Amino acid sequence: MRGLESCTIGLVGMIAVGGAPQLWAQQNGGTVVAVVADTADTVTPPSLEARVEELDQKVRILERLREIAADSAAAAAKDRQSATANAKDGFSIKSADGKYTLRLRGYVQADSRFYPSSEAVTSVDNLLIRRARPIVEGAVGRYFEFRIMPDFAGSTPTLFDAYWDGKFAPQLTVRAGKFKPPVGLERLQSATDVTFAERGLPTNLVPSRDVGLQLSGDISEGLLAYQVGVFNGVADLANGGDDLSSAKDFVGRLFVQPFKSGSFRPLGFGFAASTGLERGSITTSGLPSYRSPGQQTIFRYNSSTTTPANNVFADGKRVRLSPQAYYYSGPLGLLGEYVVSRNEVTKTGVTAELEHTAWQASGSFFLTGEKNSFRSPMPKRPFDLKEGGFGAIELIARYGVLSLDEASFPTYATITSSVQQAKALGVGVNWHFTRAVKVGVNYERTTFTGGAATGDREPENALIGRFQTSF
Amino acid sequence: MKTLGLALILAGAAAPALKLEAPKPVTLLNVSYDPTRELYEDFNKQFAGYWKNKTGQDVTIRQSHGGSGKQARSVIDGLEADVVTLALAYDIDQIAEKAGSLPTDWQKRLPDNSSPYTSTIVLLVRKGNPKGLHDWGDLAKPGVSVITPNPKTSGGARWNYLAAWAWALRQPGGNEAKAKDFVSRLYKNVPVLDAGARGSTTTFVERGIGDVLIAWENEALLAIKELGPGKFEIVAPSLSILAEPPVAVVDKVARKHGTTEVARAYLEYLYTAEGQEIAARHFYRPRMPTVAAKYANQFPKMTLVTVDEVFGGWKKAQATHFADGAFFDQIYQPGQ
Repeated sequence: MRGLESCTIGLVGMIAVGGAPQLWAQQNGGTVVAVVADTADTVTPPSLEARVEELDQKVRILERLREIAADSAAAAAKDRQSATANAKDGFSIKSADGKYTLRLRGYVQADSRFYPSSEAVTSVDNLLIRRARPIVEGAVGRYFEFRIMPDFAGSTPTLFDAYWDGKFAPQLTVRAGKFKPPVGLERLQSATDVTFAERGLPTNLVPSRDVGLQLSGDISEGLLAYQVGVFNGVADLANGGDDLSSAKDFVGRLFVQPFKSGSFRPLGFGFAASTGLERGSITTSGLPSYRSPGQQTIFRYNSSTTTPANNVFADGKRVRLSPQAYYYSGPLGLLGEYVVSRNEVTKTGVTAELEHTAWQASGSFFLTGEKNSFRSPMPKRPFDLKEGGFGAIELIARYGVLSLDEASFPTYATITSSVQQAKALGVGVNWHFTRAVKVGVNYERTTFTGGAATGDREPENALIGRFQTSF
Repeated sequence: MKTLGLALILAGAAAPALKLEAPKPVTLLNVSYDPTRELYEDFNKQFAGYWKNKTGQDVTIRQSHGGSGKQARSVIDGLEADVVTLALAYDIDQIAEKAGSLPTDWQKRLPDNSSPYTSTIVLLVRKGNPKGLHDWGDLAKPGVSVITPNPKTSGGARWNYLAAWAWALRQPGGNEAKAKDFVSRLYKNVPVLDAGARGSTTTFVERGIGDVLIAWENEALLAIKELGPGKFEIVAPSLSILAEPPVAVVDKVARKHGTTEVARAYLEYLYTAEGQEIAARHFYRPRMPTVAAKYANQFPKMTLVTVDEVFGGWKKAQATHFADGAFFDQIYQPGQ
């Protein structure tokens, strides 16, 4: 600014002392300059007032150009690549046009498991890392995204998610890789969002992860969501990789939220199904074992290392059916699902179709008034000692039943070690410090039919605590 | 037992559905061009009240303003506009073609080619018109400083340019070569190219630069009313262009946000008597005959030509005049 003023004063001074040219030409760039010529022989110079006016315009133009350049620079700065960190997206790097992103996310769950007054439980009370999962996500171009999520909590690292998404329209996303087949409702909920530390009994009967290709989308602004896909096919509860046979599983799910307003608006319900063929062998059975809410094995198909010829294995059709529903209204959340899993199994040439079923109804309620949903909410007042924030308190309860086909016994499973039915009733409380940090404790009592040398297995009382950090 | 279990689940899910809830509040983003700030501030308040009365739903409308071409590029690059209300149809065509966010025949979805109001281009001069500027021809004379925004970024600037070109074509003996020469001389008189029309108004009115501002009629009338009463005059040129700023729902974004219904209603409300009144109060020429008649006196009578009849439509005009290497690039070199 001082430079411009000096320039102006200097120019004015120069003109004032008679240094002005005789003939003024209009200059490119639009400076206002009068061309004054009385005759071919005599040229009248512009008046002093006109010259000062001209210089004033020049200065104003220069200042304005500088202003515009500053505005352009500020606008360009906004478009530059950015690195951000927040609770929603974790740590992320984004290209200037937003089409390329890389997000580093993850979560860790440290659990305590205690089994008070549970005589039949063989596991010891334990402190453990339940999940330790870094997540790398990103977008490569306008339509394409990816996600990779291993788990380092077990004795060996395991790959859970590794997939590619082509998001072409809200109505069509193509997913290829390893991910959750869309069957169980609670299984489709993220491990960071489930209300209890462990998912309920129906999750025993649906696959965990599988490799496949899926089409999905939302139609009519979320009124109808669909997923259809073809997968290698894995046993119930399994995290699959390679297939045991060439036959594939076909999976489909429809979920509707038909009410746009009114009391039933928060209601969503749907139906999922899968069908396929599985061909196991006496060495690789292709069959699952099932767990209690306290993560004790409560059912397994007969197998033996000493007489492997008598081992049971998958040998034919595998079908799963699952009606499911949820309802989230204000602080209240309800979730229910029912699962049927039919498997053809063989032992020493004798084949049977076994039908196992499970269902659960679970509910949660935020005492602190947060809006409940399929995903964990952001606390209204995140935990902050300085600001007086306490976080969110969530009460939880559920009841579930797992019923194993009576025909499983005694040929395909042993009633003295595998239960025929499990009924679990659980209650608990979660304290969401922030969206990223949750501490919970839940108690679940499970009673059994069968599963002991004489009569019924002793009930399991599981007290599970969880410290969860996700980002 | 299985049937009972299923029944319990569904009954449990439906049981608490006892109370009625108000519709969830919704937010719209209207990405618009430079001079419509005041229009939509006013219109948004009116529409929010109308929508609340009609549906019980609270709607908040956020506004984004800038040069029309620049705004269109932002939407193409991912700015999540529920609706766009831009300066010219070509910019929305670009969004449809490059981002696929709405169908290419979007102009057929609302009346009047989706242009609920029109405007034109006039000349704003300083009080007393000291340089004696009365028509387009005067703007190319030596010693005249002309303020107009950059046609590369501003929709209004493209209307300005085409209006000048159309005038030159319609002069006796007018042809493309003469028009090009005239517009070339005119742009040699332009010292500052702002990115948008509002920036040019600031340059002329607030910074005191230039002898004449080529401006949207509504912007010129607003400048006289609010920015410099008694300091400026409008000169209606002998010929100008009928500007038809269009509006459209960006389907892809609206679907994603769940705002399709309210976004449509928002634009349709522009065509109602209330919407047309607001447009007229902000110096846009209303389409509705009754409202147009009521406000006829505030708009000067001018001969107006259209882009279609003089330039063969926006696509052709864009390719001939504003595309990279086209006429504008040939006649205007920054810094010369």
